Amino acid sequence: MHRFEFPRFEFVGRFARNRGALIGAVLILVVALMALLAPLFFPVDPLRIVGQPELWPGEDPDFPLGTDSLGRDMLSMIVHGARATLLIGLFASAVATLIGVSVGAIAGYFGGWIDEIAMRAAELFQTIPNLIFVLTIVVILGSTLTNIVIAIGIVSWTPIARMTRAEFLSLRDREFVQACRAMGMGDLKIIAAEILPNALPPVIVLSSLVVAGAILFESAVSFLGLGDPNVASWGRLVGDGRLLIRSSWYICAIPGVAIMITVLCLNLIGDGLNDALNPKLRDR
Amino acid sequence: MVLPLEVRGLSTTLFTRRGEMKAVDGLSLSVGAGETVALVGESGCGKSLSALSVMRLLPDPPARIVGGEVRLNGRDIVPLPEEGMLAIRGKEIGMIFQDPMSSLNPVATVEKQIVEVLLAHTDLGRWQARARAHELLELVGMPDAARRLDEYPHRLSGGMCQRVVIAMAIACSPSVLIADEPTTALDVTVQAQVLALLKKLQADAGMAMVFITHDLGVVAETADRVVVMYAGRKVEEATVDDLFEMPLHPYTAGLIGATPVPGAARAERLADIPGMVPPLNALPQGCAFAPRCPRVMERCRQERPELTRPSEGRLVACFAAERG
Amino acid sequence: MNDVSDTAVLLSLRDVHVHFNTPNGVVRAVSGVSLDLAVGETLGLVGESGCGKSTLGKAIMKLVPIAGGEIRIEGADIAPLDRKQLIDMRRKVQMIFQDPYGSLNPRSTVGRSVAQPLALAGWKPAAMAERVETLLRWVGLPSDAKQRYPHEFSGGQRQRIGIARALALSPRLIICDEPVSALDVSVRAQVINLLEDLKGQFGVSYLFISHDLSVVEHIADRVAVMYLGMLVETGGRDQIWRSPQHPYTKALLAAAPIANPRIARTRQRTVLQGELPSPLDPPAGCPFHSRCPIAQARCQAEKPVLRPVGGGALAACHFV
Repeated sequence: MHRFEFPRFEFVGRFARNRGALIGAVLILVVALMALLAPLFFPVDPLRIVGQPELWPGEDPDFPLGTDSLGRDMLSMIVHGARATLLIGLFASAVATLIGVSVGAIAGYFGGWIDEIAMRAAELFQTIPNLIFVLTIVVILGSTLTNIVIAIGIVSWTPIARMTRAEFLSLRDREFVQACRAMGMGDLKIIAAEILPNALPPVIVLSSLVVAGAILFESAVSFLGLGDPNVASWGRLVGDGRLLIRSSWYICAIPGVAIMITVLCLNLIGDGLNDALNPKLRDR
Repeated sequence: MVLPLEVRGLSTTLFTRRGEMKAVDGLSLSVGAGETVALVGESGCGKSLSALSVMRLLPDPPARIVGGEVRLNGRDIVPLPEEGMLAIRGKEIGMIFQDPMSSLNPVATVEKQIVEVLLAHTDLGRWQARARAHELLELVGMPDAARRLDEYPHRLSGGMCQRVVIAMAIACSPSVLIADEPTTALDVTVQAQVLALLKKLQADAGMAMVFITHDLGVVAETADRVVVMYAGRKVEEATVDDLFEMPLHPYTAGLIGATPVPGAARAERLADIPGMVPPLNALPQGCAFAPRCPRVMERCRQERPELTRPSEGRLVACFAAERG
Repeated sequence: MNDVSDTAVLLSLRDVHVHFNTPNGVVRAVSGVSLDLAVGETLGLVGESGCGKSTLGKAIMKLVPIAGGEIRIEGADIAPLDRKQLIDMRRKVQMIFQDPYGSLNPRSTVGRSVAQPLALAGWKPAAMAERVETLLRWVGLPSDAKQRYPHEFSGGQRQRIGIARALALSPRLIICDEPVSALDVSVRAQVINLLEDLKGQFGVSYLFISHDLSVVEHIADRVAVMYLGMLVETGGRDQIWRSPQHPYTKALLAAAPIANPRIARTRQRTVLQGELPSPLDPPAGCPFHSRCPIAQARCQAEKPVLRPVGGGALAACHFV
């Protein structure tokens, strides 16, 4: 009956059973590797002009994905862009998760007026149109990577907070928490060490989806020309190519496809994580 | 004579990722009109799945009847298609479940739910069905029945909900009623009321009842005959008096010994049965109870005992019992 | 009202009230309960749902606040205790819970769960490890259990783990809140026997809260019966079973099934009618008068007080 000594092996097994999640994970790994190894394979600054402008993919064997309107290597920009895009996604999700889990945990555990205030705040942030809010912050504070990440994090925390709060509400009354209180354990310790590890699985799933959302936000911001000018993210590439969309549409399409695939894979991973972490399936 | 319910060699298997499990293995039992047979066992013994198999309410996947017959008033209902079963369930055979709160539709009034049963199986018109619903509620002892008809289930207590469920189950005077732990979730005083009600209804209508429970006290109060199950199989059957006076199977003896009875000698330890019920996909070779049995012999570990008939009306599957 | 003479009193409740504010009004879960529990005694607290017995247990553990009255443990009032004193108090009184599937943190190993009270009390890791070994041995679990997770164990085993955790700091009193209700019959017996063995070995006292009368009759020395938040009768176990005084106690005993078909068939009993009143709107006067077979006008007007009715028992009824 005890085939796996540690829950970790079980977790990996369950995750791998979801074919889509497996494919998603593999592809994201490829993207991550690209991001990591970019300087190795493409040591030249991707924003340098290296060839003839508007070369189509396949026209010149030196530039397998062609060049953009200024003559920069598409492949190099894509590979370097992976780094920027993934980092933005991860950090923005981290910011959102940090805010969301903190607010949700405190609201769910203490209830009462603390909960009321937290939920009204969440509603406030939810009713503001996300993209406009991000753009507003970026315009006011400036188009640096940090600001963009923070802005995206600020608009993305509410679903995480709600999820965390719901989990805390249900776990707070469970007997093992009562047992901890009966032992005299302090509230903070109960929240962090006892309830949080149990509340995290659905939150993790949500966070992975927030990464995807963050990437899309960043792409939109960069597309509109408000992104960090020193960072060649995929969104920026799509934005740069929008004037040539009728003639050299590959300049938009290639990074666009990259964004799409990444977001899709993150969603698949989210599904797989859900399967792997879902407690209801645990006892089957 | 045709018995209302005759189950012969019923076998239900669970097909899961971890393998196939014989949740019910060759169960046979029969119930006469006006008789109550208690199906007793602990969690995982297969009693609830047996009931669901008889009602053809198994979730498929993963469960499926793989053998045996279920004769309702002489007719085998195992091969019936679902349409056939729809006509029978609620009409010839009824079932009540453990948790009364979740047995009722939370967004329909009491009246609507009882009327639904009547409209499905009788040719009463809507107004006649409403009148009949009122009658049924009074029959099951619902206080202030007229007002309760318009209530939603969440306004009723557990005992009242169970009365509504019983009203729905007997609305069409079925010949067989299966009660799956109907009082386990109720308070003691309410349990006594519901058990008394079931007995009265049964006596009035001559209904055959299968009463599933793990509570031996309830068995002693309600049953005429008792069937004891362990790991999916029947291990003993006897009249209720015979069973309590002289249990033949060591598991039955263990269960009775583990049940405290008021007034028993002071400072006497309860007889506990060491160990746990084996998982269905890892049943030991030989008798499933052997690892926990105080009277185990070498033969028990090799061979699986079949049911034998030591005396009239008694069945037991045990080598030690055979030896006496 | 002290119905326990000479022996040292471990737990003392005086006129305890617990209220809950709900959107529909105030629920008086516990109304004016007074009782004593002596050292080395097992007091059974019985009643049906909504009678307040579980709430009372939680109030003693300070898991819910009391709205009135006093709770004293070894003579010390627990209400004004500061954090440090509370931790000290909690060493003396521990609790085991009903739901074997919810009473252990699913993400903590058994060893970690059992060691929690020790960690809170500041024990060193080496001492903790040794103590956990000992505790697991006392409750009959294998030593390798400490690395495993709760979901690998059965219901009965999980209850044992809960008991091991409760025993960690050698408490004087353990409040058992329906500890065997969720278990199978044969497993129930194992846990009950274990509790009795531990009592014999360590002299621990129990407040045994349960709705199952046959279990309480087996394990308790004295019994207290509650109805709608109030105590209706207390007395020695034999006394209560042989000659119950209060009409509700009689009804409860009459309703409880007895695992003996001959007795079940021949005993005379009247089944208690009616439904439990809503705790939001309890009846005036005696809480039981709406269902009582001997209720009279006085019962609706005047709430009866617990008073001695002979044989060391106390009952709250005008007419016994």
